[in-house]
Amino acid sequence: MTADARRRPGIERALAAVAVIGGVLAVVAGSPTRPTRGSVDVTELARIVEHEEDHVTAVELARWIRDDKPRLRVLDIRADSEFDDFHIPGATRVPLAEIARMPLDSAATYVLYSEGGTHAAQGWFLLRARGVKNVFFLRGGLYEWLEQVMNPHVASMTPQAQRDSIRSLTLWFGGKMTVVDSASTVPSALDRELSAPHKSDARESIRKIRRRAC
Amino acid sequence: MMAPLYEFGRFGDSASLVVAVLLGIAFGWFLEQGGMGNARKLSGQFYFTDLSVLKLMFSAIVTAMLGLFWLSWAGLLDLSRVYVPETFIAPQIVGGLVFGAGFATGGLCPGTSCVAAATGRKDGFALIAGMLAGVFVFGEAFPAIGHFADSTARGAWTLPQAFGLSYGTIVGGVVAVALGAFAGAEWLERRAERPARPMKVVA
Repeated sequence: MTADARRRPGIERALAAVAVIGGVLAVVAGSPTRPTRGSVDVTELARIVEHEEDHVTAVELARWIRDDKPRLRVLDIRADSEFDDFHIPGATRVPLAEIARMPLDSAATYVLYSEGGTHAAQGWFLLRARGVKNVFFLRGGLYEWLEQVMNPHVASMTPQAQRDSIRSLTLWFGGKMTVVDSASTVPSALDRELSAPHKSDARESIRKIRRRAC
Repeated sequence: MMAPLYEFGRFGDSASLVVAVLLGIAFGWFLEQGGMGNARKLSGQFYFTDLSVLKLMFSAIVTAMLGLFWLSWAGLLDLSRVYVPETFIAPQIVGGLVFGAGFATGGLCPGTSCVAAATGRKDGFALIAGMLAGVFVFGEAFPAIGHFADSTARGAWTLPQAFGLSYGTIVGGVVAVALGAFAGAEWLERRAERPARPMKVVA
């Protein structure tokens, strides 16, 4: 048989020996996956956080998206199903674990958001540790977006120019601005953040937006 | 070789197709060189007379496994980005049996049937037609069997996860199993050759 004639037992034995050595060493070699290491300048980070340069407001983000800010990358770190329900236009869904290892564009501006603000803030820290300078998170999360961009409540005493600016931004994203009588009836985003059980709130708002779209 | 270069945009869609064709031709060339386009040789493994396929598959598995493990260990490759096909236990057992029945009957698997056809063997063409017919029937029958085809899903399930052992231990274990399989295969092949001689004497 030709295959047998071509056989070179020496080479076969050498290859088997390589496999044995590779296999035996693998048992004691430890994990094949390396931890992703990053480093942070703690003083610098503390300064950034203290000066509130770590986050953007929903309105600022909306303006960036509308004005086509160059190399803006909006990352949604919620679950797939939530992303499918509703997300900020142009956002990419990226799981928090992926943030630790996704390829980065050093010239881009990253904005992270989650349902509230916590996960996005943690993601912000991860990206800073990976050396990204232009990274922000949406402090009030998607709630803030729904409240300030999609369904803003504006007091009737607000100057006309400011009202028009809010209305045009809201309309650009397909939302609806409501004018209310007195400023005292408008709860701030922070008040709601602290008091209201948000989960149902956000779901309800998303449902309303979707109904309107139909 | 192709995946990282493609993923990081080193070449685009059309270039990746060219690379795929070249890799495919090289793959077929080496299969043919190893005698894998020959249905007689391939069906030998089902009668324990020629276990080249088993040895070839285990060589490929051990080579790729050791390469991936050590490249990842050296920090040259990100193991977490290597695609792991999803596991569906029951449908894959049934699919494996159907595949095996076809393989034992025709003597060729999908890849080797293309190799056989490329060298002009008629059984290669027949098996490619059978394979395409099977794909068509499966597609048409999917509404009826889709529920089963999606059952017992385990996601991307690896041996370290299934056994709760470290990657390295599994690598060592697979090498040991492969070497044992090689030794067993050679023993079977030697045994298959032996009774041939006395039979000639009888004849």
